[in-house]
Amino acid sequence: MRSLFSLFLFLFAAVATAISASGNRLLAILDNVAEKENYSKFFGDLESRGFQISVEAPKSESLALFHLGERSYDHIIFFPTKAKGLGPNLTPNLLVDFMNAQGNILIALSSDLPTPNSLVSLLAELDIQLPADRTGLVVDHFHYDASSAPDKHDVLLLAPPSALRPDVKDFFGTGAGPDDAIAFPRGVGAVLGSSELLTPVLRAPRTAYSYNPKEQAEAVDDLFAAGEQLSLVSAFQARNSARFTLVGSAEMLQDKWFDAEVSKAAAGEKKMAKTFNREFAKRVSGWTFNEIGVLRVNWIEHHLDEAGATNESNPNIYRIKNDVKYTISLSEYAWTAWNPFTLPGDDALQLEFSMLSPFHRLPLALDAAHSSDSASAYSASLKLPDQHGIFNFAVNYKRPFLSNLEEKNTVSVRHMAHNEWPRSFVISGAWPWIAGLGVTVAGWLAFCALWMYSAPVGGKRETKKTQ
Amino acid sequence: MRISQCIAPALLLLAAGAAQAASAWGFDDGSISVVAKKSAETVKEKLNQKAPLSKPVSLGNTDTLKLSLTAKDNGKGKRPHQAFLVIQEQDSGLEAPFPLTVKETGKAAVQISHKDLPIQLLLSAKPLKAFVVLASFGSAQGLSTPVFEVKIETDANAPPPAYEEPLRYGKKPEIQHVFRADAKSPPKVISLFFALAVLATLPALLIGWIYLGGNVNHLSKAIGPAPLSHATFFGSIVAMEFVFFMYYTSWNLFQTLPVIAVISAATVLSGTKALGEVQSRRLAGER
Repeated sequence: MRSLFSLFLFLFAAVATAISASGNRLLAILDNVAEKENYSKFFGDLESRGFQISVEAPKSESLALFHLGERSYDHIIFFPTKAKGLGPNLTPNLLVDFMNAQGNILIALSSDLPTPNSLVSLLAELDIQLPADRTGLVVDHFHYDASSAPDKHDVLLLAPPSALRPDVKDFFGTGAGPDDAIAFPRGVGAVLGSSELLTPVLRAPRTAYSYNPKEQAEAVDDLFAAGEQLSLVSAFQARNSARFTLVGSAEMLQDKWFDAEVSKAAAGEKKMAKTFNREFAKRVSGWTFNEIGVLRVNWIEHHLDEAGATNESNPNIYRIKNDVKYTISLSEYAWTAWNPFTLPGDDALQLEFSMLSPFHRLPLALDAAHSSDSASAYSASLKLPDQHGIFNFAVNYKRPFLSNLEEKNTVSVRHMAHNEWPRSFVISGAWPWIAGLGVTVAGWLAFCALWMYSAPVGGKRETKKTQ
Repeated sequence: MRISQCIAPALLLLAAGAAQAASAWGFDDGSISVVAKKSAETVKEKLNQKAPLSKPVSLGNTDTLKLSLTAKDNGKGKRPHQAFLVIQEQDSGLEAPFPLTVKETGKAAVQISHKDLPIQLLLSAKPLKAFVVLASFGSAQGLSTPVFEVKIETDANAPPPAYEEPLRYGKKPEIQHVFRADAKSPPKVISLFFALAVLATLPALLIGWIYLGGNVNHLSKAIGPAPLSHATFFGSIVAMEFVFFMYYTSWNLFQTLPVIAVISAATVLSGTKALGEVQSRRLAGER
């Protein structure tokens, strides 16, 4: 236990200086360096958070995602490029390998430039669908910025997102004022498949739709998607917790939309508002690059919880129907430090005690006695099932936007030893049988005494016998 | 394109002065009809953009719902860019948009039947809400208004469409292990009664023996010639029962066996003499 603690302190000290929970080497793919100027505030924010940004053109010769089998970068961000393909160093295969090696990717699209083939294939691999022929523009005639797009309606103004479900933590919209709006200029909307790994971060309003400005300028006959089916910013988290974010509009990350003045076209009257883009861009990039929503297991402990027993930590074997206590300590990384992890309102951290299938699935409750400033402990007490075998204490905590936790601790559960059952004299049903034993013993002793020491009665029989 | 971009703001300025608030999309001549494939009977209803139909329209599995209307911008027939019929499930808010085919004059129509609707909407228990959305570029105010409700009639003979909800990460239902029931004993009174009944057989046996003339009168006669062996022999029988008692209460097998070995040796050694004495009494005719 003590060594665990010191290891944990050491880890904590090592991580306190890092910025992202998983490294700070960021690769930005841009057509040319001059274009970087448009995103200077966004890049400035990233640099101030400690990222080392290397800018590369997509077809650059020197670009390599892997060096000697190890990732050369921790995160990649793609900005729209004019090229149709991204060259041999950024094939979809390599990008999938990069994610398999726990690298994170953020892709920003634009409706002005068609999406490169490589990225379309990667998106298809992740079950994200883009409009046909890689060109689409999202417009909304009801929620647009009346000052910059009074006629074309292609700058959408969206309310900052709220929590996806009551049991999911809201990482992206918290703290936004009621008048704040996210500007989504000239962007592409995507349709998400039904995979559990995909989560929409920002959905289009009910009245928005996507159309092809080249072919459907007059009327929309064939609809790609409309309303809330259109996901403007989408998140994907792989099973290995590698993160992927698709931002439909790269322009929303540009300087001119950070803290810009926009006017909502609400029912004729104009209402000025400030954009929430800077904070939103910080949160989206922070989530993608493992600065928020990263969970860590500090330690796991389970022990026999019975009066009079030794109750040592993490034994390998228990008996059926033992009372056992299980405790797990979790931390959540938020921007600069590991904090105690608190469950969102309706959610539950669940412990499964399983052999093939769970026998118990119990909620773990916050255990303040074992929590600290940087970790919170959750514990549950349970009575082991009356089935012997090899069991797992399993915590499988997978939630949208939080990195995946899958912890298994294997223990044997033995059956009752013969001397652990209640004695027969305690069982009332056994009393007649015990009485029978006693009677037999006493009767046998009496018979022995009688057989050996009884004098004959009558005494006249010996004449018969000696004949 | 460039020219139109320059002209548009100018036009807008003009329009703004003339009718900024009044410019809005609307529709006229709206109607829906439900055409049944088999019976060819048609239900037709007029639509009003101000108020939705009071009764839901029912749509059977072979029926086709036709909606037609004339889109108007400020009273003039015109083609809007966005002309959708949006069908919404009331509980989840899930929506399916159907674009209308619109002519230059603003005449628009759309047909939907069961196969066009997503399965989640088909399975809805409540009537579906239908909205008409008309809007376009420029300053004209768009229209998004509920116009009618559709009740989905499924075929009672056909199996309902199967729909499996996709997996979503979240908490799972709690499981409490159901333990097997403990072994049960009969009521204590009954056990006690039979235990006493069993115990009562011992006095009955002894009384029976005494009645038949059983006695221990030869004890002194037996002890006389072989005092040590008789005491040891009978003592070893009692001790053996005591060992069995200790084995039942606390000893294990490895504590029991050596003691049994010792006692049985004593039994054999003393038994030959003691039983020899008993035999001598029998031969003497005293038994």
